[in-house]
Amino acid sequence: MLDASQGMREVDKQSLAAPVKSAVDKFQLLPEFLKVRGLVKQHLDSFNYFVETEIRKIVRANDLVKSKNYDKVYLRYKDVWIGTPSVVHDGVTDQLTPQRCRLGEMTYSAPIFVNIEYCNGTHGLNANPQVKKNVIIGRMPVMLRSKLCVLYGKDEDELAKLGECPLDPGGYFVVKGNEKVILIQEQLSKNRIIIDTDKKGCVQASVMSSTSMTKSKTIIKMEKEKIYLILNSFTSKVPIMAVMKAMGMESDQEVVQMLGRDPQYAALLLPSIEDCATLGIYTQEQAVEFLEKKHKKNKWGKDEGALGVLRDIFIAMIQVRDNNFHLKCAYVVVMLRRMMDAILNKDAMDDKDYIGNKRLELSGQLISLLFEDLFKTMNSNIVWHIDKLLAKNSRSSKFDISQHLVKDDITIGLERSLSTGNWNVKRFKMDRKGITQIVSRLSFIAAFGAMTKISPQFEKSRKVSGPRALQPSQWGMLCPCDTPEGESCGLVKNLALMTHVTTDEEEGPIISLCTYLGVEDLSLLSGEELHSPTSYLIMLNGIILGKHRRPQLFANGMRKLRRAGKIADFVSVYVNEKQRCVYIASDGGRVCRPLVIADNGVSRIKHHHMKELKDGVRNFDSFLREGLIEYLDVNEENNALIALYEGEATSETTHIEIEPFTILGVCAGLIPFPHHNQSPRNTYQCAMGKQAMGNIAYNQLCRMDTLIYLLVYPQRPLLTTRTIELVGYDKLGAGQNATVAVMSYSGYDIEDAIVMNKSSLDRGFGRCIVMKRSAAVYQKYQNTSDQFSTPSRAPYDREKNQLLDNDGLASPGEIIRHHDIYFQKDCPTNANASFNSHPSNIGYKTIRQTYKGAEGGETAVVDRVALCTDKRGNLSVKFMIRQTRRPELGDKFSSRHGQKGVCGTIVPQEDFPFSERGICPDLIMNPHGFPSRMTVGKMIELLGSKAGVSCGKFHYGSAFGEPSGHAHKVEDISETLVKHGFCYNGKDFLYSGITGMPLQAYIFMGPIYYQKLKHMVMDKMHARGMGPRQLITRQPTEGRSKNGGLRVGEMERDCLIAYGASNLIYERLMISSDPFEVQVCRKCGLLGYENHKTKTKVCPTCKNGDKISSMKLPYACKLLFQEIQSMNIVPKLTLDES
Amino acid sequence: MEGASYQRFPKVKIRELKDDYAKFELRETDASVANALRRVMIAEVPTIAIDLVEIEVNSSVLNDEFIAHRLGLIPLTSERAMSMRFSRDCDACDGDGQCEFCSVEFHLRAKCINDQTLDVTSKDLYSSDHTVVPVDFSDTGSGFDNPEDQRGITIVKLRKGQELRLRAIARKGIGKDHAKWSPAATVTFMYEPEIHINEEMMETLSLEEKTSVVDSSPTKVFGINPHTQQVEVVDPEAYTYDDEVLKKVEAMNKPGLVEIYAKEDSFIFTVESTGAVKASQLVLNAIEVLKQKLDAVRLSEDTVEADDQFGELGAHMRGG
Repeated sequence: MLDASQGMREVDKQSLAAPVKSAVDKFQLLPEFLKVRGLVKQHLDSFNYFVETEIRKIVRANDLVKSKNYDKVYLRYKDVWIGTPSVVHDGVTDQLTPQRCRLGEMTYSAPIFVNIEYCNGTHGLNANPQVKKNVIIGRMPVMLRSKLCVLYGKDEDELAKLGECPLDPGGYFVVKGNEKVILIQEQLSKNRIIIDTDKKGCVQASVMSSTSMTKSKTIIKMEKEKIYLILNSFTSKVPIMAVMKAMGMESDQEVVQMLGRDPQYAALLLPSIEDCATLGIYTQEQAVEFLEKKHKKNKWGKDEGALGVLRDIFIAMIQVRDNNFHLKCAYVVVMLRRMMDAILNKDAMDDKDYIGNKRLELSGQLISLLFEDLFKTMNSNIVWHIDKLLAKNSRSSKFDISQHLVKDDITIGLERSLSTGNWNVKRFKMDRKGITQIVSRLSFIAAFGAMTKISPQFEKSRKVSGPRALQPSQWGMLCPCDTPEGESCGLVKNLALMTHVTTDEEEGPIISLCTYLGVEDLSLLSGEELHSPTSYLIMLNGIILGKHRRPQLFANGMRKLRRAGKIADFVSVYVNEKQRCVYIASDGGRVCRPLVIADNGVSRIKHHHMKELKDGVRNFDSFLREGLIEYLDVNEENNALIALYEGEATSETTHIEIEPFTILGVCAGLIPFPHHNQSPRNTYQCAMGKQAMGNIAYNQLCRMDTLIYLLVYPQRPLLTTRTIELVGYDKLGAGQNATVAVMSYSGYDIEDAIVMNKSSLDRGFGRCIVMKRSAAVYQKYQNTSDQFSTPSRAPYDREKNQLLDNDGLASPGEIIRHHDIYFQKDCPTNANASFNSHPSNIGYKTIRQTYKGAEGGETAVVDRVALCTDKRGNLSVKFMIRQTRRPELGDKFSSRHGQKGVCGTIVPQEDFPFSERGICPDLIMNPHGFPSRMTVGKMIELLGSKAGVSCGKFHYGSAFGEPSGHAHKVEDISETLVKHGFCYNGKDFLYSGITGMPLQAYIFMGPIYYQKLKHMVMDKMHARGMGPRQLITRQPTEGRSKNGGLRVGEMERDCLIAYGASNLIYERLMISSDPFEVQVCRKCGLLGYENHKTKTKVCPTCKNGDKISSMKLPYACKLLFQEIQSMNIVPKLTLDES
Repeated sequence: MEGASYQRFPKVKIRELKDDYAKFELRETDASVANALRRVMIAEVPTIAIDLVEIEVNSSVLNDEFIAHRLGLIPLTSERAMSMRFSRDCDACDGDGQCEFCSVEFHLRAKCINDQTLDVTSKDLYSSDHTVVPVDFSDTGSGFDNPEDQRGITIVKLRKGQELRLRAIARKGIGKDHAKWSPAATVTFMYEPEIHINEEMMETLSLEEKTSVVDSSPTKVFGINPHTQQVEVVDPEAYTYDDEVLKKVEAMNKPGLVEIYAKEDSFIFTVESTGAVKASQLVLNAIEVLKQKLDAVRLSEDTVEADDQFGELGAHMRGG
């Protein structure tokens, strides 16, 4: 009792001493957040929403399939749902697991079930409606770890049984054995007014309307003082007043009144009014008549004239009921007013790059688009089919509409789009490419990178800086570091650690709540009131709801309801004082993030909350439900004052950040002390972290990817960050802690090259395993198929077949060299052998596959041989061929600070410098890498790791973590170093290993986490003497894979010309390339030939061989002459004596 | 040059000697000799290590090369190494390096049959020669107090049903070829520091200043005598030539209070062995190898042909 009351008192004291407060460590919220939401939750949420809600909506909206000609014949979908992932093999349904799909080149998909009610009319036996349940209409690829997936809610042991890595985030699909992720698509938000300028500098207000029925773009533009409407359905721009009049606002006075009392606005509208008058449009009829002339006739579908366009296409999200255009007029006036505001005051212009004006389209939305299209196509196909069938007079079989549900269209359509990445939906005028991407499994982090990647809305070629720049509104939502270099720099972005992307939310309850909270409905308002200065407009998802006189009160009321859980967590309420609007948003695709709520600057989260969290009584959701934490989207953030730390909060503060390092994404989160680095270095590391070798997943040895890079002894970084622990990089690391000495050594370390210790390499530093997959297929033909082939063991063949087992497949564990045979099969000589030929009459020939590796290089080993059935039902064999490589000269390494370098030389340990403790570095880095790169973080990493190894504790270096204790301070690190007998500045006294004399300077030495990158010399080095040539030009082939030559390009040629090395040019460009002997007729200058039989030289043009000379020419040149001749141009050679 | 002799007579004083650890002073010589000794210890003292592995069955999670690499790095007791032959110039076998004079055969058979994971360790390696076995750390008493940990060096862990069966051949080699043949874990030396404290000047300091001087060194070089309150050199060898004390003294504006020199002719060696050879033996072997090398140099001056007489040593020279 006593304790409890004391505890109470303490809590009271805390709240009493309001502004002076001890900071609560809210870090613990993060793992909880990730436990609840996961790192790819946005994908999973989106897909779950589609599967649970959206698919129902789509089917309900298109539930009736009815014959055009026969009224009674129909089919109605009653319900739709998706089953569990399965595959049908010979009529037997079999449960699927993702790993099985990966290995067996299958699609991880689940059947889409519908319940149908249908009637076959008078044609069937029964004229009454019939019901069929559990009808499969297709297969839906299932996102891993979504609610449909077998992995959903499984713990580590169960996942291991299913052959799955518990650290794998899911969020992707397995299509035909390939892991495909649907990239997040960035788009301009729909149904919102955007004010900007066009190419000519005219101010315009544009709205992308999007409803379930139509999608359209409406632009209202001020051109030469006059205002026009631009709509695709009209052939040219239309005066806006004519549109207003057509919509029933015949009086100019009314429009002006709606715009507001201020004469400025009226003045801006005046030219448009006058223009309308000169056109002679005064009444609605005249206006409609005028618009009718401009109206583009719709070739297909119903055409309802200009008024129909205004009703259904023009700002389509405002629905017109009973031909009452009042709401639409009001909306147009709001657009006009916003536009005029922007003309009067340039600040009112919208920023297209502002994140609040953007929406992220996720896998669920993209799949739903595709599904909707395919579903509609299937239904229209049914109609077309049954109509054709019913039109026939005599039918052999009984008519049954339910038999016409074809399930292949949807299955194939979805599968094709996912595997090609082409979203070609004609219905929605959508033709996008590269939507999906193969999940890159180069490293564990690379897979995460693909999952959080946002692909841009613009093409990469546009040379604009605006969209590429870092937006202040990205704070906390998108990672400021993680973007590629080069053409797509700044366009491709990545999500930050805590970002959530919303899904659609029901509007109905929100609208009724708004009315309860005192919103005056728009239809009840007079024109004058629309822009009355005493009240604010209330907009919900871009639609005007009405007006409110006390917007702040209203917004606070809405927020309170949200915190109380009465409306969804992700509804945002945003008061825009400048536009005198309250924007409520519940649409999908907004980015938002959680923040701690503060009252008068005092955090709602107290110590006891965090303690309860630690004890497991609480979780992230309970924080959310009790209103301690809420999600804010980018727009609502504008109404909040967010303190970075509790201590910095003032009385105006409304929110407090959870942890500042969450502004970074997964890739940037691996960098220790990124806030001490020059910013581009962090960006470089984000790109390089994805190429680092390490562990891929717990199931890495069971995977059959085309290429796997693994590190033999991966380590966990000594200097970790919180993000590393959160994403599991400490369990699946991609690098090793190398003891680095920062000094110059031997001169083989210039230009970022590193010097490596041979003994370290002997002991396994940087050793890696490369596994390549090669496949072979036993093809099936009409009547025959490829057969297993038993290799000959005859003395002559024995050696070349030594790898092969008796089935003609190399056995696992065999050492394989260049040109070794690893597979052989028997192929029928006549693939189209007829059915009646006896099996014994079919001849077979043996086909072999040989291994292409580095010639004379390190040997490889057959790691695994797997047999499976491929997509076409053929037996396919996959060989994993493994190679273990130790680092060699030219292999690429990098630290975590964007400092890459190649191995410059390998030096034996005895030549390496050593300290009197006996410490000898693993690699030496040149100090010139520091001054220009300014990667102070790397130096602190070295210090921190050194302190870490000496005291036996991992040190932390989370971004901006010093104030909150998630990063060690240099001061503390130095103290630890001194305590363990090192110098505070991390420098050591070293002796030269070559002479034994002390080095002249103290050397900065300690462990740094080094990554081995996938670029290795062995895969790149190439040289050739003689070799293959191209067929048509007879020049050497191009590229390493074809054992091609190295080209002397035009610039190299220019150099040689300038230098005057004519014989060298002659030798390079002709002798060593494509020399060819030609016969030239000196008379006509054309090419002749030599008759080999008679040994005479003939000119076919002159019909004799009198003046023929033979000379050498590049074959390509001869080819050129002949090609030119074929185009009726005569290239003549004039020869001279030499 | 005739007659001028640079001959010196270095002295060795052993400070500490354990099986795998030795600390000794080397005096009256210079850095080149000390460093030559160090380099030979690291790179040229021969030991025996597994060099060839024939895997019969391997169903463990680690692949064949991985296991072979791990096996190679296991230190084997190599007292015999000095007298053994390099397999490359062994004439008893026909160059395949599998005879008893130049190689030792090992066998490993392990299969996990129960639910608990089985650790295959260096103790599971069976040697054909009882003098060449994996190094046993259990009797050194260092580090492993828990008998569970005394199972030797883990090679691989097996789960139920997995099996590892192999034959391995260990050969003589030197650290220069591969680090697995290096008998030295740590070989290092330092110049012996000579620390002078100017007692008179020190007396002028307050106790506080004295402690600040003492504390300025990251290692415990100085101490204050609790009785006399005098600053004393507690452990000169702890000094890491970090100059911190000198900087401190400089900052206190008392130059000459402490002076530190490195004695250019005396070295303190620290030798830690991997266990393949005893630390003391390692030093002796190193001297032996060094002597042979020097002999070779001297002889090769006289006759080029003499090079060939020293079979193994000549190879040494050529190989190096």
